[in-house]
Amino acid sequence: MKLNIEGLLVYFPYDYIYPEQYSYMLELKRTLDAKGHGVLEMPSGTGKTVSLLSLIVAYQRAHPLEVTKLIYCSRTVPEIEKVVEELRKLIEFYVKETGKENNLLALALSSRKNLCIHPEVSSLRFGKEVDGKCHSLTASYIRAQRHSNPSLPSCCFYEEFDAVGRQVPVSAGVYNLDDLKDYGRRKGWCPYYLARYSILNANIIVYSYHYLLDPKIADLVSKELAKKSVVVFDEAHNIDSVCIDSMSVNITRRTLDRCQLNVDTLQNTIQRIKETDAAKLKQEYRQLLEGLKEASVARETDVFLSNPVLPDEILQEAVPGSIRTAEHFIGFLKRFLEYLKARLRTHHVVQESAPQFLKDIFEKVCIDRKPMRFCAERLHSLLRTLEIADIADFSAVTLISHFATLVSTYSKGFTIIIEPFEDKTPTIANPVLHFSCMDASIAIKPVFERFQTVIITSGTLSPLDIYPRILDFRPVTMSSFTMTLARTCLCPLIVGRGNDQVAMSSKYETREDFAVIRNYGNLLLEMSAIVPDGIVAFFTSYVYMENIVASWYEQGILENVQRNKLIFIETPDAAETSMALEKYQEACENGRGAILLSVARGKVSEGIDFVHHYGRAVIMFGVPYVYTQSRILKARLEYLRDQFQIRENDFLTFDAMRHAAQCVGRAIRGKTDYGLMIFADKRYARADKRGKLPRWIQEQITDSSLNLSIDETVQLSKHFLRQMAQPFRREDQLGLSLLTLEQLQSEEMLQRITQLAHQS
Amino acid sequence: MDDQGCPRCKTTKYRNPSLKLMVNVCGHTLCESCVEMLFVRGSGNCVQCDTPLRKSNFRVQLFEDPAIDKEVEIRKKVLKIYNKREFDFPSLREYNDYLEQVEEIVFNLTNNIDLERTRQIMEQYQRENRDVIQRNKVKLTREQEELEELLLLEQKSTEERRLELLEEEKRQLQAKRKNKQALLDELESSQLPACVLLAQHKDRATQLERQIEKQKQAVKTTIFSTGIPMGQTVSLQPVPEIREVLYHYQPLFIATHGPPVPELDQLQRLGYLNHVRAASQQDMAGGYCSGLACHRALQDAFSGLYP
Repeated sequence: MKLNIEGLLVYFPYDYIYPEQYSYMLELKRTLDAKGHGVLEMPSGTGKTVSLLSLIVAYQRAHPLEVTKLIYCSRTVPEIEKVVEELRKLIEFYVKETGKENNLLALALSSRKNLCIHPEVSSLRFGKEVDGKCHSLTASYIRAQRHSNPSLPSCCFYEEFDAVGRQVPVSAGVYNLDDLKDYGRRKGWCPYYLARYSILNANIIVYSYHYLLDPKIADLVSKELAKKSVVVFDEAHNIDSVCIDSMSVNITRRTLDRCQLNVDTLQNTIQRIKETDAAKLKQEYRQLLEGLKEASVARETDVFLSNPVLPDEILQEAVPGSIRTAEHFIGFLKRFLEYLKARLRTHHVVQESAPQFLKDIFEKVCIDRKPMRFCAERLHSLLRTLEIADIADFSAVTLISHFATLVSTYSKGFTIIIEPFEDKTPTIANPVLHFSCMDASIAIKPVFERFQTVIITSGTLSPLDIYPRILDFRPVTMSSFTMTLARTCLCPLIVGRGNDQVAMSSKYETREDFAVIRNYGNLLLEMSAIVPDGIVAFFTSYVYMENIVASWYEQGILENVQRNKLIFIETPDAAETSMALEKYQEACENGRGAILLSVARGKVSEGIDFVHHYGRAVIMFGVPYVYTQSRILKARLEYLRDQFQIRENDFLTFDAMRHAAQCVGRAIRGKTDYGLMIFADKRYARADKRGKLPRWIQEQITDSSLNLSIDETVQLSKHFLRQMAQPFRREDQLGLSLLTLEQLQSEEMLQRITQLAHQS
Repeated sequence: MDDQGCPRCKTTKYRNPSLKLMVNVCGHTLCESCVEMLFVRGSGNCVQCDTPLRKSNFRVQLFEDPAIDKEVEIRKKVLKIYNKREFDFPSLREYNDYLEQVEEIVFNLTNNIDLERTRQIMEQYQRENRDVIQRNKVKLTREQEELEELLLLEQKSTEERRLELLEEEKRQLQAKRKNKQALLDELESSQLPACVLLAQHKDRATQLERQIEKQKQAVKTTIFSTGIPMGQTVSLQPVPEIREVLYHYQPLFIATHGPPVPELDQLQRLGYLNHVRAASQQDMAGGYCSGLACHRALQDAFSGLYP
């Protein structure tokens, strides 16, 4: 259908539209008009992706000079594929309606592991191996060597691409990863480099967060993207953790040992080259005299993991004299390494700031701040000069050099914590140096500064105002949309006590309480008797789950549950978990249903959807707070309090509630779906917790569904399930939560929709 | 780490966890007891390289690689002499060259290359730059100064925060106590029914909470907009003096490859302006005169006449 959104003609590839999609597009259009950033929350299963795509594509067509590119960032490869499929539908609709040839180029980009078609390289199992192998075939100096020695192995796909592929633009169309591979095979070009090269003139790019947020990758891939782009972060509820992870460095004893090996290899190589080809080192030296700008004119294949965010003025300056020659730099690395080793030998926990660290390192091994700042760049240049083919081996020393650069560049927002052992095993020495970033805004700042519009969207972003604060930007629009429902298909219940009136809670004090564990067991048992098909239960942590399941076994609860349904358990092992998931789904197909016990923040809670009969009820046992004793978390909380005025408790609750919402949101993946959401903890009834749930869940929580006992829960659930089991057709939704074009254009409906948007 | 041991008595850290390794200027390791035994007389030779050593120069080995211990030792000594700062040099390039030279010296000394010559160079440098070395002894490099400042700032802010928190807590406690006392007093003396008083109290309590909340959100500024912290004078470092050759003006010479063009003020006299449109008053207001256009046209016409 064709929509008119405040004067913009939008082609929408479906015959029906949800009212919230319409108001979502309205909000989006306003954000684009204002050329600002936006935070938008809309429940999953209401067609976020298609609304985003159709509006932005329409905008792109209407104002080709204002918005040149759409960069759509998602989390996983399956999600990326889904987005591309939606896009394909949209483009086909365009072609059908307008009758004109499509002239948009849209493509997905992923790692070499997913795109390589070289028969040898693509058979490797790990991403790092693929990268390393590819690099050893395609790096510029290797190819230069091949001129003199044609017997060296090469990648014919890359050679072909390099010879012809650059001149011929990829024809317009929508390419997912498989399409790219096919295209590459047909033409004999490397799909990975083709995609990386083509994103510069593509209209729509779909890729993973890391290509934009991780400074090491972003520097390679996304550096040249145009400023007039719209960036969309989908499923962005964890964006702050992604930012923080991309800037943090953890160094263990093993890293240092590997690093030592690397440094020794480097030293030997330098020695060898000095004897055979001293001119090469001389030339590098001359380049370094002139400053980094010239030295870093890297060819696109020289992927030595480039420097983390460096302020520009450093790049203009010349490398300090003390690390200019290769031997001196090796000496520098050695000293730094020995210093780190000495630091890791402590017997008690140390926490210090970056300036303290720098002062200490100067006193102990006379390393100044400036050469440290250049460390990453210098190593990069050295590795290139030495023409080391397999860069995967040098990841340890690269990591250390990044650490040196970061610690000397940022005096704020980072903390260094040295822990001699893990909290769980205080007798086994396992020293780790955490260099942890506390400020999510550091990694994402270049994105907000560079691009004209950045949209952050997800099904669970509540409370909305916290994201602009922790990411430090000023949004022009912030909205939360609810689901308009023809029938209330979700039923959140907050269970606070058992039948014996003992309060249920995963609070630390009552964790081990026999009565609480029994009540949790009873709840599961009762629910397993009345809920048809699948039930997913989430615990706060693996340890807690183990404890509870063990005592359920002793109390005989498990045996009783198994009379009703089969039980599957998620473990930290990925292979085991996917096996359990598969079997769980098989059991659900068979009719009697099953129970999946899993963990909030685990794999299941983040990416697996339980549509329809796979998840008729979700039980959340306890509030999924993070482990608050971790020093990294404590440091971050302190930082948030001082810098952003976010109180510790606020942040912890926010974090716990967003994960709880993620967990329970797994069950509802659309308007025809239905499911129970059972929050089994007394604390959920409090206003400060409840208020942080997304609006679409909050709206369904009535006073009568707070602080229930197990009996009451069973009553309410039975009633709800019976109602929901009645046949539900599309006609029932029409006009209420599903609109045709005529209905949408009616005066009354438009008024209702504008109200919907105003509420938020 | 555990496989480290004394090369003489072969004790390792694994067998004796309290083993203390010592290292001297030559960079070779000995354990503490061996040092005690071999150097009873206060001096002796290294077991491995026969360098004469003093017992007092033995120190606890900090790093796994004793060569690093040695290097750091040497480096500290060298840096005491080579202590020029960045502002002692006219350009960054020269400073970097100097740094490299220092590094070269350290490298030579640690790896026993050209020992004699390097020592000579050092001594010569020391003689030549005595006053600079003396002067720079107390000065820190610019970067270190920055670091010190940051550290100071950090300390100050943590201290401030701690005090603030303490005070805040005290204030809150006091306010709450006062509120409670007021309620008791009112209940005792007032004529109003108790439920009204309780409601009033509750109202007041929530107001108090809100006030506290608001205070928490208000941020105190401690820095002027220029970046200078309040209540602290900035250290005024002398601006480095840059001496260069003075600029000499040289009149511009253009090779026109043609006859010389008459000067602008001669145009009128030579009659070139007779057939040029006189400038109107409006033109002249803007600084234009008819000579300008004429002069330019002449330049154009004359240039390149000689092949």
